[in-house]
Amino acid sequence: MKTYDAIIIGGGHNGLVTAAYLARAGKSVLVLERRPRVGGAAVTEEFFPGFKFSMFSYVVSLLRPEIIRDLDLPRHGLHILPLESTVTPMENGNYLAAWADHDETRRELYRHSPRDAEAYDEYGRLMHFMAQAVKPILSMVPPDPTSFAPSDLVALLKLGKHFRDLGAERLHALVKLMTMSSADLLDEWFETDVLKATKSASGIIGTFLGPRSPGTAYVLLHHYMGELDGVFRAWGFAKGGTGAVSEAIASAARSFGAEIRCDAGVAKVIVKGGKATGVVLENGDELRANIVVSSLDPRRTFLQLLDSSDLPSEFVSDIKRFKFRGSSGKVNIALAGLPQFTCMPDGAGGRLHRGAVSISPSLEYVERAYDDAKYGEFSRRPYMDIVFPSMIDPGMAPPGKHVMSIFVQYAPYNLNGGWTDAKREAFGDAVVNTVESFAPGFKAKILHRQVITPLDIERITGLSEGNIFAGELALHQLFFLRPAPGWAKFATPVRNFWQCGSGTHPGGGIMGASGRLAALRILKDGR
Amino acid sequence: MTASFDAIVIGAGANGLVAAHYLAGAGKRVVVVEQRPAADRSADIGWVPPRVIRDLGLSQLRLEQPDPWLTVPLDGGNTLELSRDMGRSVEAIRRISPPDAAKWPEFSRRMHTLAGVLDKLYLAPPPDIETRDPRELARIGGLGLYVRRLGKQAVIDLARILPMAIAELLDDWFESDVLKGALGALGIWHLKQGPRSGGTAFNFLHHHVGSPAGVFRPVRSNVTQALEEMKRVEVRRGNRATVLAKNGRATGVVLEKSGEMILAPLVVSSASPRGTLDPVAIELDPEFARAVRNIKGRGVVARGTLTLDRAPPPSYANFCIAPSLDYLERAYDDAKYGRDSAAPYVEVQRFDGNRLELHVQYVPPGTHEGLTERVAQVLKVRPDQLQLQAAEESLYHGELTLDQILFMRPVPGWSRYRTPIAGLFLCGSGTHPGGGIPGAAGRNAAREIL
Repeated sequence: MKTYDAIIIGGGHNGLVTAAYLARAGKSVLVLERRPRVGGAAVTEEFFPGFKFSMFSYVVSLLRPEIIRDLDLPRHGLHILPLESTVTPMENGNYLAAWADHDETRRELYRHSPRDAEAYDEYGRLMHFMAQAVKPILSMVPPDPTSFAPSDLVALLKLGKHFRDLGAERLHALVKLMTMSSADLLDEWFETDVLKATKSASGIIGTFLGPRSPGTAYVLLHHYMGELDGVFRAWGFAKGGTGAVSEAIASAARSFGAEIRCDAGVAKVIVKGGKATGVVLENGDELRANIVVSSLDPRRTFLQLLDSSDLPSEFVSDIKRFKFRGSSGKVNIALAGLPQFTCMPDGAGGRLHRGAVSISPSLEYVERAYDDAKYGEFSRRPYMDIVFPSMIDPGMAPPGKHVMSIFVQYAPYNLNGGWTDAKREAFGDAVVNTVESFAPGFKAKILHRQVITPLDIERITGLSEGNIFAGELALHQLFFLRPAPGWAKFATPVRNFWQCGSGTHPGGGIMGASGRLAALRILKDGR
Repeated sequence: MTASFDAIVIGAGANGLVAAHYLAGAGKRVVVVEQRPAADRSADIGWVPPRVIRDLGLSQLRLEQPDPWLTVPLDGGNTLELSRDMGRSVEAIRRISPPDAAKWPEFSRRMHTLAGVLDKLYLAPPPDIETRDPRELARIGGLGLYVRRLGKQAVIDLARILPMAIAELLDDWFESDVLKGALGALGIWHLKQGPRSGGTAFNFLHHHVGSPAGVFRPVRSNVTQALEEMKRVEVRRGNRATVLAKNGRATGVVLEKSGEMILAPLVVSSASPRGTLDPVAIELDPEFARAVRNIKGRGVVARGTLTLDRAPPPSYANFCIAPSLDYLERAYDDAKYGRDSAAPYVEVQRFDGNRLELHVQYVPPGTHEGLTERVAQVLKVRPDQLQLQAAEESLYHGELTLDQILFMRPVPGWSRYRTPIAGLFLCGSGTHPGGGIPGAAGRNAAREIL
């Protein structure tokens, strides 16, 4: 039987990135994916004839540029189309728009508040700077502050110096960003409610927090770290949907010699004498490898693939304590035609539909959506981020028809009474009715709808509790605490068993940073 | 008429008086000006640092350390009584939840270790992270070493717990709603945040500083009264004082009613940073003025008294109505949208014969229509037995959220009690270490001045 240098469990984007980097370094690598196709939560599927959907995650921005370069992804079919604008319809029929053209956005803001138009540039500069200041941390293996090892001490000192070199003012701004609520932070800058609501919405994505909850200002920054072709804070679609991103990375991995096997779910990791030696597939087959790397989330990596007797009990309780609490759902819709929004009947000459539509008319609206979830209900009027991928990539739908992707928050995984088919439909109705209230006539254009609850996300992709970040991006679950104190350097308490998913530092989004850092760490370790 | 002193202290609360006494002890002629006509006879809530007691010779200080330190009503008329004695608390908790009782000693120990770290930080100015001064660097290094010596668990706890929500922390440990509600209430004290908001675990630890392990309510004392009775410094009452400044220098204060000016080269204010600095904003750098305006100090607490027909049993001294974390969270939800809590968190903080002092939260600024009735309903008493006084501004002059502590307090970069106006210092709870530790800020400020 062949012994691979490395077996990667899970063919999501992080698993594939790790595989590609290891294969590039000359290792024999096998990726095992449970589903019939690679991609995990970044997949494109045609569940209604002629219409293609990015099932779960739907925009690309956070994918690390060094990964695109190192793996030469454009050659493997990665093509990103920019998503340029955001329009927020308001309850009173007005709207707030952010366009690709900076001056036009300023004029639009000026219409709402001259003061905010002035503050906007300064705010943008600060966020830009802060994102630059935090970025190096995304590319570093977190040092362990409890360790006395020289390498950790050096890394800690370097980190301390990095922060000091920012200078007092920026350091203070960073502390605020790390600890404040997005609403409080935005209150310091702006007065236009709808502007604050739309900005704060990016701070709540994927969290079980509201815009007034401390800690959301950081998530706001996390979403500012996107970079496309060197252009800061630009979001885009992958041509062919997010599945195309996964396919491109998979193709790169294969070109380096990695083997990828689908329909090959892993049941257990084989541990002998405290060392991982291979895996057992769900069909009973055994495969051997020098190292095994899991890209699954921490709960499944440690509590499902391993027996708890293989792990220190303290570590097991840390992993059990790691929070997931999925809070978002997705509604994918096949449309006979584009919906017309009351606030902008002409759609600004098609520009509205080529960008995002944010249903975040006021801070109170978003906060109330959170209140529902806090007590175990889905939001009656949810926050939504809507895009029409077929407007940018016509290949996604038949001519004249469209696909619409609605990211919805909040839909708590732990719904009162649990998710049922009826509850799923009720949730879908709440989403559709809310859109209808901003775009009358929308419902009549629906050809088909697919409603995805956090429970569905868990069932289909395996992400525990349907958390899209494979573990909440809360301050106490970041950096050297992700996924557990002392085990944030991709190694695990089981020798030769590694982790590389979004549940490790830095986690979240289609970023690939976890997968890359893990691979570099594994290679450095000399295996 | 003008009179001249070496130093003027604004505010005769604990911090103002402590600062005044330290300054007087260093030979300065000090006058304290206080807005309120009569001394407040309600208790000072919070740990008085022993250094302050020693330095100022506070022989008249009476500390109240009630036992049990908390009494929580249970369904069916029983109560949960949490005692200073660890064993008795464990026994009491066992009656509502054996697993929680088993975890109580370890939880108490871990929290006490963390509060001990804060204690180290509180009796000195906050660490200056930008410093190049070797002495300050050595102090920061010493603090770092102290924390590392506490062991791996403490380092992890510190990083993990401070930014957490108190609800998450308590959910990690306990199952009983009653216990979690009673403990969680301490995490929201004087905050416009609910127990599910990040940073409330820090607020919980802040209020645990100075208490023995297993006691999660601070002591009460008469520190303000004791200081005033020492009559070491002159206190002028009944007049609001406004800072005077010219060409970037403090010159004294003017008293509102009489128009009298008191001149001194040093003005030390224990009033809120915003209230102190607003009148002299013209002298300030616009960035600094903006930072002062942005201090979050939203009033959410009403203080009040309940007069009973006869004296209650002693356990009433710490009667707490916060039956669950959800109860507290819902109380906060109302405040979020600017309303008083429909069902507020109410705690008796002290009693004196048949007169009970109350803490009621959340009571944001507003008309407070029907508040008295609702509090009466929660306490099962008649509305006419209650008198409530809501605070428009946070009694801590700045909420103790993570972005407003240590070197960020009162505003980033100005944590050393100074202001951009020469000779004008701050010494109130708006400065490090903040409210709930009477005298600490006053002492730190006075030492910084001297």
